Amino acid sequence: MEELGKIHQLVVTAFGYELRFNLEVISWTWIVIICLLIFGYIAKRNRSIVPGIFQNIGELFIEQFYGLTEDALDKRLARKYAPLICALFMFLLFCNILGIFPHLGEPTSDLNTTLSMGIMGFVIAHYVGIREKGFKAYIKAYFQPIFFMMPLNVIGELSKVISISFRLFGNIMGGDIIVLVVSYLTLSLVLPPFLIGFFFIFIGAIQAFVFTMLTLVYISVQVK
Amino acid sequence: MSFDTATWIQVATFSAGGLAMGFGAIGAALGEGYTAGLANEGLSSRPEKSGDIFKNMLVGQAIAESAAIFALVVAVLLLFLDPGAPYLLKASAVLAAGLSMGFGAIGSGVGAGFPAGQACLGIARQPAVSGTLTTNMLIGSAVCQTPAIFAMVVALLLMFTDFSSMPLAPTWAALLGAGLSTGLAAIGSGAGGGLAAGASCEGIARQPVSVGNVTTTMLVGQAVSQTPAIFGLLISFILIFSAFPESAALSAAMAPLGAGICMGFGGIGPGLGNGLTAEQAVRWVARNLENTGGLTRTMLVGQAVSQSTAIYAMVVSLVLIFVI
Repeated sequence: MEELGKIHQLVVTAFGYELRFNLEVISWTWIVIICLLIFGYIAKRNRSIVPGIFQNIGELFIEQFYGLTEDALDKRLARKYAPLICALFMFLLFCNILGIFPHLGEPTSDLNTTLSMGIMGFVIAHYVGIREKGFKAYIKAYFQPIFFMMPLNVIGELSKVISISFRLFGNIMGGDIIVLVVSYLTLSLVLPPFLIGFFFIFIGAIQAFVFTMLTLVYISVQVK
Repeated sequence: MSFDTATWIQVATFSAGGLAMGFGAIGAALGEGYTAGLANEGLSSRPEKSGDIFKNMLVGQAIAESAAIFALVVAVLLLFLDPGAPYLLKASAVLAAGLSMGFGAIGSGVGAGFPAGQACLGIARQPAVSGTLTTNMLIGSAVCQTPAIFAMVVALLLMFTDFSSMPLAPTWAALLGAGLSTGLAAIGSGAGGGLAAGASCEGIARQPVSVGNVTTTMLVGQAVSQTPAIFGLLISFILIFSAFPESAALSAAMAPLGAGICMGFGGIGPGLGNGLTAEQAVRWVARNLENTGGLTRTMLVGQAVSQSTAIYAMVVSLVLIFVI
């Protein structure tokens, strides 16, 4: 039970600063990235009218998220941002499911991963907002409905980053902790596989989708 | 009669176990009763589908019960697990764990009853889509459990983290605050998320083609309804993991306790309010499919405004923790 809430870190001192690297999380993230690259390569290797199994899976992802992006934004913006949304979902899905393999864990159970994803979505949403509406209209939106609401609007925007990243982190880490505690209590008999199936696969897929959709609607709120 | 450290820890664990299961039983029972009630209504309107409706009712109730089962697990852990090295701070930690889990299970239990009940009614109305309805119910009520999972995470962290090196004086209050913050804030969010999920099951039964848009809107609405619970979790983490300097003054202890109470109560209303917004948005997406984009945006903007009270609570909590 001592593992609860512990993280293995590599501490490097450079230029008077302490740099902390969560080595396990970094390696898990690279595993996910490499798996996705291999998946992408296999999916597009033998493209044909009658798709193979990997091409089929790839087309499933792309069709679904292209449609969702078109619904939320419009046709022109969807061409630009659908690849991002689709890639974000696939990355998070692989991340959340990685924990079912022994000796591996979810990169998303580390707040650094989810927070950086959240900040990325935040920056992209505001960049798209400024690009599409123009700087003046973008700034003006903060002074709605009355000018003194400005600080609250800014805090509200910032709290979106906190809520989106803590939602994913809390769910995935919560699943981890519950599985750890139940495995400890039941000596890893009977129950843990079902809990792993529920938390890592079911909740993991739902939360990856929720994160992706929220990033998408945050972009769409900025555009319209 | 003398009160040494071990006695205090026992007093705290026993009362925490009672509180966890006692409060934790409220919500799930309400949700399950609601499910069974609507199952009866559905059954009377379409008796030939009684098998499907009955099965769906049992599955839905089982999911609604999971919040109470979380509470049961925590209560059993509290009662039977060896507390380890006795130090006085442990008493406060286990009491906070019980409060967090007990309060945290209320909302999710009530909330998970709404989709289950509406799915039973929906199967009676539209038997052809009973598979879709059950799937949607499972997704909706699984997301409803998120606040209860947060509460359980905080409870387990409080029970198993080693606080023995912390100073007793302000930390006992910080730990109690951490438990109350997530526990109370989870009430509104759990129930609110359930309202959205219930409306989605009803909407799919009315207009089965809308399933994709309705499920997506439901997930987004539920996710935003859970934001107050996430703020509560954030405050709890800060209170658990930050080291407060030792101080015998009562005011130093009351600030973190007040922060937890502030975030906890401040999160109830916004969670429920956001859920009401999401409920109507989902309901009207099902009836007005072409307007999904506009409805989703209006829902988000409305929720952001009703969320601002949770943000005030969070700001006050952060001020209490870091400034005072």
